Formats: sequence, structure tokens, C-alpha cells
Amino acid sequence: MRIREHPILDFQKGPLVEFEHDGRKLEGHEGESIAAALHAAGVRVLRHSIRLNRPRGFFCAIGRCSSCLMTVDGVPNVMTCVTALKAGMRVETQTGKGTIPDVRFTEAPSDPDYPRDLGSVPLAIVGAGPAGLSAAVAAGRLGVECVVLDENPVPGGQLIKQTHMFFGSKEHHARVRGIDIGEILLKEIEDLPVSVMTGTTVLGLYPGKVLALLRNGRLHRLTADSVILATGASENMLAFPNGDLPGIYGAGAVQTLMNVDGVAPGKRVLMVGAGNIGLIVSYQLLQAGVEVAAVVEGLPEIGGYHVHAAKVRRAGVPVMTSHTLLHAVGTDRVEGAIISEIDGDWRPIEGTEIKLEVDTICLAVGLTPNCELASQLGCDEAYVAELGGRVAIHDTDLETTVPGVYVAGDASGIEEASTAMLEGRLAGLSAAAKLLTRPDADELTRLRIEVEEGLRALRAGPFGEHPRAGKQKMVELARSCGGDQ
Amino acid sequence: MVGAAIAYYLARGGMTDCVLVEADYLSSGATGRCGGGIRQQWSTEANTRLAIESVREFSTLEEELDADIEFLQGGYLVLAYTDEDVAQFEKNVGLQQGLGLDVAILTPDEIVERVVPELNTDGVRMATYCPSDASANPFLTTQAYADAARRLGVEIELFTPVTRVLTDGGKVTGVETSRGTISAPLVVNVAGSHSVPIAATAGVDLPITPCRRQILVTEPLERFFHPMIISFSFGIYFRQAKHGSVIGGFGDPDEPAGFNQTSSLEFLTTMSAKLAFLMPRLRSVKVVRQWGGLYDLTPDAQPLLGETDGVEGFFQANGFSGHGFMVAPKVAMLVAQAVAGTEPDLDISRLNARRFTDGPVTTDKSVV
Ligand SMILES: Cc1cc2nc3c(=O)[nH]c(=O)nc-3n(C[C@H](O)[C@H](O)[C@H](O)COP(=O)(O)OP(=O)(O)OC[C@H]3O[C@@H](n4cnc5c(N)ncnc54)[C@H](O)[C@@H]3O)c2cc1C
Repeated sequence: MRIREHPILDFQKGPLVEFEHDGRKLEGHEGESIAAALHAAGVRVLRHSIRLNRPRGFFCAIGRCSSCLMTVDGVPNVMTCVTALKAGMRVETQTGKGTIPDVRFTEAPSDPDYPRDLGSVPLAIVGAGPAGLSAAVAAGRLGVECVVLDENPVPGGQLIKQTHMFFGSKEHHARVRGIDIGEILLKEIEDLPVSVMTGTTVLGLYPGKVLALLRNGRLHRLTADSVILATGASENMLAFPNGDLPGIYGAGAVQTLMNVDGVAPGKRVLMVGAGNIGLIVSYQLLQAGVEVAAVVEGLPEIGGYHVHAAKVRRAGVPVMTSHTLLHAVGTDRVEGAIISEIDGDWRPIEGTEIKLEVDTICLAVGLTPNCELASQLGCDEAYVAELGGRVAIHDTDLETTVPGVYVAGDASGIEEASTAMLEGRLAGLSAAAKLLTRPDADELTRLRIEVEEGLRALRAGPFGEHPRAGKQKMVELARSCGGDQ
Repeated sequence: MVGAAIAYYLARGGMTDCVLVEADYLSSGATGRCGGGIRQQWSTEANTRLAIESVREFSTLEEELDADIEFLQGGYLVLAYTDEDVAQFEKNVGLQQGLGLDVAILTPDEIVERVVPELNTDGVRMATYCPSDASANPFLTTQAYADAARRLGVEIELFTPVTRVLTDGGKVTGVETSRGTISAPLVVNVAGSHSVPIAATAGVDLPITPCRRQILVTEPLERFFHPMIISFSFGIYFRQAKHGSVIGGFGDPDEPAGFNQTSSLEFLTTMSAKLAFLMPRLRSVKVVRQWGGLYDLTPDAQPLLGETDGVEGFFQANGFSGHGFMVAPKVAMLVAQAVAGTEPDLDISRLNARRFTDGPVTTDKSVV
């Protein structure tokens, strides 16, 4: 089901091409993800699980969860949610583990340029989302040469699917839509000594700040004096019976599908979670012409802004607090959902079960910071619930316990895009201050105060309560690790 | 693994008043990082016997512990590349066959025809092949021992590092941990490379050097080869686990001693090139993870087992030198017998740490 009309978006797609799915000819747009093309053609089951042979669709749509693995052109275990469609591709539903590809190499590899060495850069920024791009702007403006690396084909991170306008003050891009903020940041970079490498996955971060990059199927090595990790976050999953049925997606995946690919996730959706993401995505679903059966929220009160909830309620969607999803119904795909009221201890209240006729369940139940690279390098980490999970311990410069390695944005603790941009700038300034041989101390102080005031303003008020508490804990943890002098 | 197994065998023998103290989580040390290979092809009689006994234990372990440990008798194929390899392997096979092991010498053609059609035998002179050699999943095996021990009454305290071994007048009296003191007349030190600092708190100097070894794992695939394939001279070992992933590594001879467990890009690229050379079809298989772990090396690459001279009641079971998983069931049983004061059913006195002060030692040539 392709979205033909949208109040805000005008989908720019590649040419229509033919491809093969389990021997059947289908059409899709070149360059969109294989999973999106299949979804548009009504295909929900992408594989069957290894142990229990359960049907699986995609879940995260950002190449994190492995739920979408299929056999493509004879190669098993291909992440179809991030693999671009090409004309003539042979896509097969994968059952079990997949067989070793029958690709024979007659000659032994004798490539002297393996891995290809890209030399060294003063600053490598991992992630071209709001935090990473902002870091590049801040460091680049001070004359620091940097490379921004991102596995996606286009820069912008999660911004590329944010059609709503941002809150906050004007200088933090308030009243601007997320999709446009990315463009603005990229424009700002144009005249700076910054290069952006998309389609580049950072596979590893090794001692000596050596980055292993996968680009066009080849391994590359890049060495950096400083590294900013702006790797974002992954969607949380909920455990409930039938929780792996095709048709159950993370909120980010639903956004990608409808706002980037222009494909409706389904006809009727149950949204789980009434935080800002759940409410915003519900509204975006309505904009895309998809029905939202209900928004359920386990807490007695919604977690998001009331303006967002009001918009959804006005459209006739019930926002049901103190309610949870008990289980999904269906055999090959979601055919319904059972929800029920819960008591103060999150126990379902018997007799309050309701069956909703839905073909899609969207989970907006929070995010977990992506901290694998910091972890691999040996940065000290801590579990801080207020920040969404395990994060690299960082001081007020956003520097981790490995000197010259910084974290910013959701990777340093779950917040939202506006704070991510400011944190990005802060990390960029901190890195620049150390890298420049003769930094302008007054200028740096001025810029830093500006950013810190911005962060303080954004974190003020009741919605900033968690990040404030989390960041406070972080300051103490960093101090006990010997950070911040 | 060895700690959990000793606890199980002690409890099975009736000594259920036993606490297993772990600094981190189960399998967080070398065990969870190891290759899971179980080999009987050794170059000395004592080691071969011990290994044969261990495979016997492994083969009935799933039933005994009532758990799946992904035990698979896929064999071990040991490749010879040099004159030295050939001479040594011919000697080994004679000795091993004499002990009743089902081991054979294969020509390169026989390897491809009978065992691994996908193998590139360029430079391979011959191989020894023992089909009853095996592998198992180290996490599942440790968990199975721990669960079985718990069922028999053993207490397991996780995230509780031992900070000191307590002694009084040449006798052990217990241990001090991060969460308090445990008094015990018998203490077994099974902390891998970390056994050294632990023993030092009781004034005992163990001849163990920690040294990193790296390893990687690929995506899971339907089975396409069976044995663990190893070579001492080419420096590699790899197998396809029961769950389908290929797991393998090699030892860098220039690796410095120390507790560093990080992974390196050089290992990833060198290992990938080695795998692609030996099995060209692996070129199109994705590596999903790499990591490092510690070998606890002793001067003769053999473990230190048994009671410590000068500290009564303080036992060692460490220094496995990179092959502790494969012998763990039998060794743990023997150490448990020694701790309980019964006669071990195989003599382990030759493996007491005092061998290094007593005189010359023999080393086994079959170490990866
Ligand atoms: C890369 C690699 C590959 C290997 N491949 C194989 C193979 O194929 N076959 C094979 O047989 N062997 C292999 N080995 C060797 C094998 O892993 C070990 O010999 C075996 O696992 C040792 O088990 P263990 O219980 O003695 O040690 P460990 O598994 O290291 O257990 C020791 C435990 O002690 C804990 N500890 C440490 N300090 C303290 C403290 N102060 N207080 C409390 N607890 C503490 C640790 O956290 C750890 O869990 C390999 C090793 C490596 C590193």
C-alpha cells in the first residue's frame, strides 16, 4: 500500500524496476529498501525463525535487530531493511539458517591493499544524525578537519523521518520540521573542512582509535586523533505472546516506512506507548491515511506533551492510560490485539480485556543508547535508568574515560533531537579545544556557555526531569572515574 | 567452567556444603571466550589418556546434567605442513592408536574425498583425523554444571570477587570477598589467569603467565563441514558449531604477556585471510563478532592441579594453557576427589605445581 497523497511529504522515488520474490515477479522503486518494496507489495513474512520456524517480518527498519534477514541473489542473512533494491534482484524468503553461498572464488585473495588504508584524520564523527552533524558544524567552524561516517545512504539520521515541528527556542530550530533541519545542517557543513561518508558502517573501534569501515562491501581502515560517537539509539521491544509476528514494528520503523519510503505500514494500527514518540507517530499515521484503533499507555498518565495527545484525541483516537497490550493475535501476521486495564502494580485486571481488530501493532516503548563502539574500545560504562540503559561514562565535556573519545546525542543518554544537536555542538567544541594548537580561548568559552545555556533551558521543566537526574548521576560517575579533573 | 564442574562433582559425591564464588557472571572468563573444541590427539600418553576420559564424560553429560550442551562429535582434522609436523604426527598417531584412539593418517586427496571437500589442501603434506574428537557450547556446558550443582544444594554467588585467601598457621581458613568473609577449611582456586593474584594473597607464587588469544564467529549457516580443522604450523583452528556459526582463531606468537583482552583489527583481517585461503567459499560469509580471552600459560603448557605445598586445604586447578575446556569434566572430577580426600581414579600428582621445583618436565608438542 503506497501512500499516494500526503499533506507534508512529496516522496521522491527511484524508477520502478522489476525484481523476483520467491519466483514471482514484483515491482518496486530502485533504491528503496527491499523490505519496503515487499511491504508495499503486501509481503509481510520475510523469513522463518531458526529454532521454532516462526514467521518473521522486519521490526526496527534501521539494520539493528536482524528480524528481516532474507536470501538475496543467493546470499543468505541479508538485512533487507537497509539493503537497497536493484533491478532484477532475486529475493527469497529464508527458512532456517541459510546455506553457504555457492559463490566460488577460483583465485585466493591476494589483494595487497587489504584493508584499504584511508590514512588519518584529526576528528572522526560516527553518525550523521542531529548530534553528529552538529558536532561537525561546531568543530568545522573552528577549523578542525573532520569526517562524518554513517551507514545510511543519506545523512540526517532519524531527522529524515521527522515530519513534525520542533519545540524549543528559535535558535534551536524550533518551528522547523525535522526533515528540514537535516538539510539546514548539511548546508552549514558545505563550506567547512568536513566530509560526510554515507553508506559506510563503522564495524569496530580499536585501540589507538583505529576505525574499521565497511564501504561498498570492502573493509577500510581509518585512524583518528579524536572520535565523537553519535551513534543514536535502538528501539526497545516488549515481551508478550506472539510478540514476533510480522506486523509488529518499532515506532521508528513505522516512521521510516511511511515518511521515508511512502509505504503505509497497515490499515489499522494499535499504538503502544503514549510518550511523545507514540503520540507523534500516531498523528503521522493519521496524516498518512492510516486508522489508529487506540493508543495504550501503562502509566496512569501520558508521558508526552498534552498538545500532541490533544491532536490525536481530536481525530477520535482513544488514548487509554493504565492499559497494556496482553498479546497479539494471528498466525502468519497480526490480525488483532488483546489489551486490558492494569492496576497500580501493572497487573492486568480480569474482565477488562478488549479485542481490537488491527493488522499492525506499533511499539513506542522507549529507546536504548547504542554504545557498542565505546564498549569495544574499553570506555567505562554504567547503567543509568534515567538515560535509557548502559552508556559510556562521560564528563561535562562529553568525554568518555578514554581520552579523546566523546559521546553525544541519544548515544550518551536518551533525550530528543534538540538536545542531541546541542550535545553534538558541545562534543565538537570539546574535541576542537584539545585538537587545535592555538585555540581562541575566549571564543570557545563564549560558544560553550551558549550551548550549556541552551541545554539547561531544554532540560528545564517536568519533561527534563529524567535527563537532568541522569546527567547529574553521570557527573558523579565521571568524577569517581577521575574525569573532570 | 572448571569451577562449576568441581562444585557439581563435589556435591554429587556428597559434599554439598559448598559455595561457588564468581567475580562476574558464569562463563565470563576464558570459558565463555573459548573455541569449545574437545581434542584427544595429544603427543604424550598422560594427556591423551586424560583427553580420552574427558570425551567419555562429555558424551554422557547431556543426559547426566539434563541439559543441551550442543555436544557434537564432528572429529578433529590436524593438518601437517612441515617435515617436523609429519615426523611428530606419525609418532603421535602410533602412541594414540596404542591407547585405543580411532585416529588415522590421511593424504591430501583423502582429506578432500572423505572429510572436507571444501578444503584447500595447497601445501598440506598430510593430516591426522580422529572422528570421535568433539566440540560443545562452553556457555551451555557451564550453565548445565551450575544448574545441576544448585539442584544438589551448592550456593552460587555471582558478582562477588574474592579479595583474599585467609590462612592461619599454614592452613587455609576461608576467603574474604567483596560481600563478606566465607570461612572454609578447603578452598579451590579456579580463577584462570586471575588465580595468580589470588594465590599471591596467601603467599603462593603460581608459575602462570596470562596471554591474550583472539577469536571470531560468523553468521550461522546450514552445516557444510564437520570437523574442527587445526594446524600448529599454519597457526589456525576453526569449526562449525552445532548452531551453524563458524568459530575460530589463531595464536599470535608475538603476543605480549598481560591481562589485555581487547580485540584488534589485525586479528580480524589476518584471520579472515587465513580462513579464505583454507576454505575459499568462506570468503562470502559474514563475521558477526570478534573478541579476546586469556590463556593461563604454564612453562610446560599443562595445568596446575592439587593441594598447595605449605598451605593445607588450598587447592589449585588452573594454568590450563589454552586447553582447559576439553579436559574440564575429567579434571574437575579428579580435583573434586582430591578435595574430598578420596583417591582420584587417575593419578594427578604429576600435575601438581611442585613439579617445577622438583626437576625437569616434559612438554606436549600439540598445543595451539
Ligand atoms: C580464544 C580462546 C580459545 C580457546 N579455545 C579452546 C578450545 O577450543 N578448547 C579448549 O579446551 N580450551 C580452549 N581455550 C581454553 C579454555 O577456555 C580454558 O582453558 C578454560 O575455559 C578454563 O576454564 P576455567 O574455569 O579454568 O577458567 P575461566 O573460564 O577463566 O574461569 C575463571 C573464573 O574465575 C573468575 N574470577 C577471576 N578472579 C576472581 C576473583 N578474584 N574472585 C572470584 N572469581 C574470580 C573469572 O571471572 C572467571 O569466570 C581457549 C581459550 C581462549 C582464550
